[in-house]
Amino acid sequence: MSDKNHNDDIELEALFANARAHPPVVPHEMMARVIADAKTMQPSGTGSRWRNWFAAFGGLPALGGLVTATCVGFWMGVAPPDILPDLAAAVMGVETTANPEYEGSVINGYGWDIGEG
Amino acid sequence: MDMSQSNHPTEASDEAALLRRYAEGDPVAARLLAGQMTPRVFGHAMRVLGNHAEAEDVTQEAMMRLWRIAPDWREGDAKVSTWLYRVTANLCTDRLRKRGTTGLDEVAEPEDPQMSAEQNMQQTARVDALQKALNTLPDRQRQAVVLRHIDGLANPEIAAILEISVEAVESLTARGKRALKQALEGQRDALGLSDE
Repeated sequence: MSDKNHNDDIELEALFANARAHPPVVPHEMMARVIADAKTMQPSGTGSRWRNWFAAFGGLPALGGLVTATCVGFWMGVAPPDILPDLAAAVMGVETTANPEYEGSVINGYGWDIGEG
Repeated sequence: MDMSQSNHPTEASDEAALLRRYAEGDPVAARLLAGQMTPRVFGHAMRVLGNHAEAEDVTQEAMMRLWRIAPDWREGDAKVSTWLYRVTANLCTDRLRKRGTTGLDEVAEPEDPQMSAEQNMQQTARVDALQKALNTLPDRQRQAVVLRHIDGLANPEIAAILEISVEAVESLTARGKRALKQALEGQRDALGLSDE
């Protein structure tokens, strides 16, 4: 690198340094407008609390699992499988016991006993 | 000047954390973000556009886009300031295209009360001379030179902002510096550079 080129580099760097040291001053009115925009556009705290709760809960996958579990639970309440105990009766304090006569009548109702003679 | 300073990971995570706090409704974060980012955006727009009113418009629009994207910002994406510089650079490019010419104002600099009147005049003359020289550069060269030598960003970050390769950044800044030296030729004594 020639001496002249080297000097030019130094001088240019001095001008850059001067520019860095004296950045354009942000007008107060513009800064006020920017802050006003920020406040207008800022999401409300309530929304963010919901978002935080949602995130802490596990987000969309967790909510999907919860909905599925709720639907399955509701359906099992409406039409419980035979292998499950009668939870409603247990909660309501009604005891259900096996009644051979009743069961027999049900079987009679289908006419199975008649069919077998 | 430490050119790598702006790439410090803590700075990136601080910016992202501040943006998240803003999105969560923290009013302090709004002021902190505005205070941190606005001078950088305005400084860049002012150097590239060389026009006060246009730089103000670009700054307000760029900051508006930051507020808008805040709720959807994903940490781990681009650095917030890199993203904001890219938005600013694109807005400046749009302005320059619409303008079609490089008829630019001088950059008015504040006077420093610590300096004598003569020093103030010389400092203003230097800033003006650099700005006039910058204004003679093609738009992309000017953007690259401002980002590298005045905003102090590293080449990979400039490449991300201008959406070009690092090699292209190096080429733009090298050609830009050569053109600046030519434009400033003969002003050495007038700018008081021979005294340093």
